[in-house]
Amino acid sequence: MQQLLFALFTMVVGVAGCAVYFIASNWALDLIFPSKGLSGAGASRNLRITNMIRPWLFLAPALLALTVYLIYPVIESAWLSFHGKNGQQFVGLGNYRWMTTDAEFRQSILNNLLWLLIVPAAATFFGLIIAALTDRIWWGNIAKSLIFMPMAISFVGASVIWKFVYDYRPQGAEQIGILNAIVTYFGGAPEAWITLPFWNNIFLMVILIWIQTGFAMVILSAALRGIPEETIEAAVIDGASGLQIFFKIMIPQIWATIAVVWTTITILVLKVFDIVLAMTNGQWNTQVLANLMFNWMFRGGGDFGRGATIAMVIMILVVPIMVWNIRNAAKEMEGR
Amino acid sequence: MIGSSTRRSPLTFVVHLSVLFLVVLWTLPTAGLLISSLRDKDQIAVSGWWTALAPSRQNAVYRAPAPDKQVETNGRHVITGNVFDGGTGTVSAFGPSVQTPDEFEAGETAALSKGATLTVADNGDFTISSAEPMEGRRGERIFYTTSVPPQFTLDNYREVLSAQGLGQSFINSLTVAIPSTVIPILIAAFAAYALAWMKFPGRALLIALMVGLLVVPLQMSLIPLLRLYNDIGAQFGVSPKGYLGIWLAHTGFGLPLAIYLLRNYIAGLPREIMESARVDGASDFDIFVKIVLPLSFPALASFAIFQFLWTWNDLLVALVFLGSRDDQLVLTGRLVNLLGSRGGNWEILTASAFITIIVPLIVFFSLQRFLVRGLLAGSVKGG
Amino acid sequence: MRKTLLVSVALASLCATFAHAADLKFAPGEDSRFNWKSYEDFKAAHDLNGQTLTVFGPWRGEDEALFESIAAYFEDATGAKLEYSSSENYEQQIVIDTQAGSPPNIAILPQPGLIADLASKGLLTPLGEKTEKFVQDNYAAGDSWVQLGNYKGKDGKEHFYAFPYKADVKSLVWYSPENFEDAGYEIPQTMEDLKALTEKIVADGGTPWCIGLGSGGATGWPATDWVEDLMLRTAPPETYDKWVTNEIPFDDPAVVNAIDEFGWFARNPKFVAGGTAAVATTDFRESPDGLFSLPPKCYMHHQAQFISSFFPKDVKLGVDADFFYFPAYADKPDLGKPVEGAGTFAMITKDSPAAQAFIEFLETPIAHEVWMAQSGFLTPYKAANPDAYANDTLKKQGKILLEATTFRFDASDMMPGKIGAGAFWTAMVDYVGGKSAEDAAKEVQTSWDAIK
Repeated sequence: MQQLLFALFTMVVGVAGCAVYFIASNWALDLIFPSKGLSGAGASRNLRITNMIRPWLFLAPALLALTVYLIYPVIESAWLSFHGKNGQQFVGLGNYRWMTTDAEFRQSILNNLLWLLIVPAAATFFGLIIAALTDRIWWGNIAKSLIFMPMAISFVGASVIWKFVYDYRPQGAEQIGILNAIVTYFGGAPEAWITLPFWNNIFLMVILIWIQTGFAMVILSAALRGIPEETIEAAVIDGASGLQIFFKIMIPQIWATIAVVWTTITILVLKVFDIVLAMTNGQWNTQVLANLMFNWMFRGGGDFGRGATIAMVIMILVVPIMVWNIRNAAKEMEGR
Repeated sequence: MIGSSTRRSPLTFVVHLSVLFLVVLWTLPTAGLLISSLRDKDQIAVSGWWTALAPSRQNAVYRAPAPDKQVETNGRHVITGNVFDGGTGTVSAFGPSVQTPDEFEAGETAALSKGATLTVADNGDFTISSAEPMEGRRGERIFYTTSVPPQFTLDNYREVLSAQGLGQSFINSLTVAIPSTVIPILIAAFAAYALAWMKFPGRALLIALMVGLLVVPLQMSLIPLLRLYNDIGAQFGVSPKGYLGIWLAHTGFGLPLAIYLLRNYIAGLPREIMESARVDGASDFDIFVKIVLPLSFPALASFAIFQFLWTWNDLLVALVFLGSRDDQLVLTGRLVNLLGSRGGNWEILTASAFITIIVPLIVFFSLQRFLVRGLLAGSVKGG
Repeated sequence: MRKTLLVSVALASLCATFAHAADLKFAPGEDSRFNWKSYEDFKAAHDLNGQTLTVFGPWRGEDEALFESIAAYFEDATGAKLEYSSSENYEQQIVIDTQAGSPPNIAILPQPGLIADLASKGLLTPLGEKTEKFVQDNYAAGDSWVQLGNYKGKDGKEHFYAFPYKADVKSLVWYSPENFEDAGYEIPQTMEDLKALTEKIVADGGTPWCIGLGSGGATGWPATDWVEDLMLRTAPPETYDKWVTNEIPFDDPAVVNAIDEFGWFARNPKFVAGGTAAVATTDFRESPDGLFSLPPKCYMHHQAQFISSFFPKDVKLGVDADFFYFPAYADKPDLGKPVEGAGTFAMITKDSPAAQAFIEFLETPIAHEVWMAQSGFLTPYKAANPDAYANDTLKKQGKILLEATTFRFDASDMMPGKIGAGAFWTAMVDYVGGKSAEDAAKEVQTSWDAIK
């Protein structure tokens, strides 16, 4: 109880502290460079100065946190990637050269590309469909909650759940995995899904799609509901059908949000390792980059150099997405 | 309110049906988990969870009393009893050997070694009879097939909930998760507004940086950060592991996504509102607090849900920055420890997965109503 | 704001409640099975009132409670406070904690490979020659144990870093005595007998073995135990040692032969329950259930002693389930009776008087006997009274350990983590899936070359 009070107290202090920072710094800025009550040149000069400084006041806490928690480790990793096992001895491009010859690495890159193609597309697609459909029925909220549920399950729980889906028992024995139970019910032979070459990647992806659809659905549903009622009403009056409204009016309206969801899931896929670690640990050719990095970093004492090198590759893979987002942002700004 | 325009459409039925199909598809795996968590440990690994409701035919074994319990009647040495040992049931088949446990039907007589015979009636009464006195230190094993009614138990939940220190861990988890959700949202909202609506040099670069930082693998930053914490801790003479550290860590890790999502949402707000406010002489700070913040509520709420989920279900960050001592464990850590050194107690895993899911679901339900468009439409008209 | 928070955090850590003194499981002086004198002597020699010792170990759940019961004696004897912690990912956590400069005082770990790595980074404190001599003189197969405690430090010289505490026997075959009795099978005394029995069970229409390699992220490891056990029965222990350090390549004929020996059991669909496809996917925890199903799915299961805690809950050890020593070849008498095992080692990761005292505490018989009298603990420490073992099953395993002519540690635990906890597992999964032993072994050697 005492701890809970302490938590509440510090939470209030922390939040209030943040709020005070923003209010006080803005107040101070307006005090030092007043623009109201001043005439002509002085006012516009001060306005220009405040407009130049204020964004940085808004950004400062975020930039500070990002620098400490993400940029500094990234720089450290970049440095480590040129060093050996213990991060002490300089090896130049040795780690990168090792990487190009490593079969497991090549396997992971291929698998990762596959994940990048399939998971964001599928999760966004299902999320959009569900968001659009559930808005039209009275039990939509219940349906949404049920579909959201996988998001709330920790990955340990999720891996148990899917064990009960993919479990394999030899032919003749009673199947406890529902997938094999269905297959045998229709007269097929049970398969050890997790070990099937190539397809096992897809079976692992299904798990992430299952989890991430809830994410896509929540964000897209908020966006769909943000479409001004008037637009849809106008289309209904014009005699457009439900499908036409969906594809011609709604989708273009929320296109930006779809892109955001897609990007977010893509990035999540780049980092995915919980699922692979828990289900196969990269065996049967299911290795992915994040899990490979984790293995090199921490298994058996760790090789920080190579772990960091793989992390750098993961970050390089995101460059196309970065470029695409910058161009989007630039386009927005043109119109402003 | 949205359904009104489509109620008459013939598509409505299809919509209901397809949503139902998707919901079933999505819930089926979780349903398996829920049902498994209510089942007996030994049954989980033996039969499919969907059979849990049906009575199952099961082979069982009963050990008859040892030969020293035999009585002599009518010149034969006899051991009698009931395989259900006080309970009731129906035997459909039985056998004396483990290789063929259902060799005989109830009521038949099976031959044992040394001229002895075994009969099991369908109510479970059995008779072992022999002309010679029976010997041996152990009783005969009687294998029988019976139909077992569906069995459910709350034992798994009882075991998880009675774990020592669970309450403490629950509070720890809340202590970690709530500030770790609120602080990044506040910081990110300001930054997102600046990136969306304020003009300053380097803005595009910063946006690109956010996207780039989204992808930084968390595991990579653990060691540099912990080293930094240790240095700071040594400087101030405090323990490097504590709540402040973990809040800030979660804040740092959650910020890129928060800024990215919020910026996109805020950038999509109608420009007219901002401009009319600016014409009225409002400063950026006023615009943000009085207009943008209320308008962004759906986005803030949805990000809050996700950030809360991640911090609540997180194990690694908590272990590294908070520690793994008994009084420092968060809920996920406590439940994972319950699994024992070698893991794999499905029954505990299944029950604990459901216990951890409760709080996130409450958060989802309570925030869900903020995800509606009424807020947006209302304030546009009102403003 | 930050400063206020720091202050309040500091205050909060001051207010942290102190754990009450734990109760002692067995009252000192009462049970004659225990060596109370060693306890009293230790108590008289140490006074660490007010000090705190942090210990990080691999034990969680029930094992954690067992270790706490040992820790209570240390606390009672010295007055120091022992704070134990563990974690699901203890291998990663100890790397993170030591690298970042916030290690516990004592780390207890089961992987020599990981210990070697920590030692080479200079993160461990040598325990000294006296402790080394103690292990040499007082442990059964003392040479093997001392060797397991010696690692190269940052200075490149070998020191004694790791004190062996708690051992496991891996060379066990589990079976159901009554199923053997019903079918008229005898416990095999030689490997030849075991193979003959395997064939006989098939001829009788049964399935001899349950083998399950599934273990989530660690899938494949049970097969490494098989191969190591067979390696010790087909090649001299010196070859085994060279294999562990890669002095002979992983695809040396001796290793390939051992893998194929394992294949004789695991790759014959008639010999394993569910056929070979089931071997790679069956979870190792569920695999032994086949021994107890009706009718039995299999008659034998090769696994370390810990597996008994995964048996169905109504199975009684010694009655429904028992084990025999995984036998050696009769035609290779010079290899003796090798035993493959595992164990945990205590190391000082942050030196303090309490840490030194803890290592000394582990040298007392009482630190072993109290755990022996509960469950799941074996020790090669000769001064610990075997009568203290809680049951006959443990006593029998303890006997195997004390009588071993050769004791070798689990090879996969000693190899570098990338190999022993990675490439080796994958190779075994591939091998069971149909790859040839040569190719599978070559694959491991390639990975090994890559980390040199």
